[in-house]
Amino acid sequence: MSNHRNNDCNTVCNTVCNKDWKKIAHANGLAIPDAALEPIARTLDALAADFRPLARALPPETEPAIAFHAALHAASEDAE
Amino acid sequence: MTLLEAAAALRRREISSAELTAAALQRIERLNPSTNAMQTVMAESARERARRADEELARGEGRGPLHGIPIAVKDLFRTKGVRTTGGSKLFEDYVPDYDATVVEWLREGGAVLIGKTGMHELAYGITSSNPHFGAVRNPWDRDRIPGGSSGGSGAAVAAGMVSMAMGSDTGGSIRIPAAFCGVVGLKPTYGRVTRFGAMPLAFTLDHMGPLTRSVRDAAAVLNCIAGYDAGDETSSRRPVENYVPDVEPSIRGLRIGFPENFYFERLDPDVDAAVRAAFNAAASRGAEIVPLRVPDIAAINTVARVILLAEASALMEPHLERRDQFGADVLALLDQGRFLPATDYINAQRLRRAMQCEFARLWSHVDCLFTPTTPVTAPRIGETTVSVGSETEDVRLAATRLVRAINPLGLPAVSIPCGTDRRSLPIGLQIVGPPFAEALILRVAQALVPAEVPVPPL
Repeated sequence: MSNHRNNDCNTVCNTVCNKDWKKIAHANGLAIPDAALEPIARTLDALAADFRPLARALPPETEPAIAFHAALHAASEDAE
Repeated sequence: MTLLEAAAALRRREISSAELTAAALQRIERLNPSTNAMQTVMAESARERARRADEELARGEGRGPLHGIPIAVKDLFRTKGVRTTGGSKLFEDYVPDYDATVVEWLREGGAVLIGKTGMHELAYGITSSNPHFGAVRNPWDRDRIPGGSSGGSGAAVAAGMVSMAMGSDTGGSIRIPAAFCGVVGLKPTYGRVTRFGAMPLAFTLDHMGPLTRSVRDAAAVLNCIAGYDAGDETSSRRPVENYVPDVEPSIRGLRIGFPENFYFERLDPDVDAAVRAAFNAAASRGAEIVPLRVPDIAAINTVARVILLAEASALMEPHLERRDQFGADVLALLDQGRFLPATDYINAQRLRRAMQCEFARLWSHVDCLFTPTTPVTAPRIGETTVSVGSETEDVRLAATRLVRAINPLGLPAVSIPCGTDRRSLPIGLQIVGPPFAEALILRVAQALVPAEVPVPPL
């Protein structure tokens, strides 16, 4: 990944990592007490910081597997 | 005694299934109060099954190596007429009206189901310190965790209550207790063993497999539980092999990968030394050790966590208003999963496919890979962090760091004992192979471990 792209990712990350989890919980109707939100907020921020750059680096043609198969070459075999 | 040794003794009529079952029940009665490995003991039905097994064997109607052998299954495998809790208060009174396919196939193989083992709540953690049913304790040191989530299975096998207990593995839950309890734990390829009837944690990451006292025992169990099952649409139609290796198999010429990145970072020095010694042992038996760089395992771990959080929270969503029914650690994870947008889950599954392709290229250079199973040996019950060198790490993240990535990749992996640390606690070696290469990794494992794992002082 180029430095330019890393910088882009960091910018995105900084904007998405500072989420107000309390507001998000209320907006989504999640009945999670505020006291329970504090300890998980740090974990969610850290996970987002790790995950966002990976997701942004995905080539657009990469599709998810509809049903996961451990061996790609076994997928057609299993479908028979 | 290993499962296959007991099977041989049964065939020779040196012992009966009734005697084996009575001995197992006695050992459970003596050791369960201090280990809490067994959550439900099925004494009466086990005695009846054993009696029938003896009758069948007397008539020459042997069903295979599991016939008449007392076994246990983790308490997330549905058992007809027997409570199945998944380690959860939500299901403390749940009595299924059918068996999980694995249980059904084990019964058809003649196994005597003697009980259900304790586990981490909902299989969502690695301590097996269950807030509803009590902490499972490690037979090597009862102040320490057995690992998890299949902690009761690891403890029951290590304590010699049973020679085999089934576990499930979503992010290391068979291999971690195998390493911490000093037994063999096999996570087969995704699709090799049906998931039907096992309470799910994460549909696309869950794997079912045995914990045993020998490698050949694990292979014999795999022979019984592998195969296509219409109840699980991800189960493979690939033919089942004979997975049981020779007693002294050759590994001459096999290429064993030595990861130069990730896997040997931040290890307890005793773990580091024991795993490096395993490479030397393999080389002395004629294997070729191939140093190589593995794909970004930290990234695969991140992807696995996103998939797990999303799938587990989706599953438990209908129950999440009853917050008092969950332990604090599991509730925190379930809450986290509710915040992940759908786009993250889809992108995690896209990344998974890309990483699977990247990892597949490794197998043109090596036949299998050796890694430590866990960076440390069993932590104390109640510890939330562990020290690795000069760093402090969350217990759950440390225990899963070297095993979690194998689940989204769907690869077969076995953890075998490979020595002990300065406190005489077991150390695990993880052997990972290409998809459906169970026979190969079990052959390599058999070449490296003693016929039966050491027994803790009990």
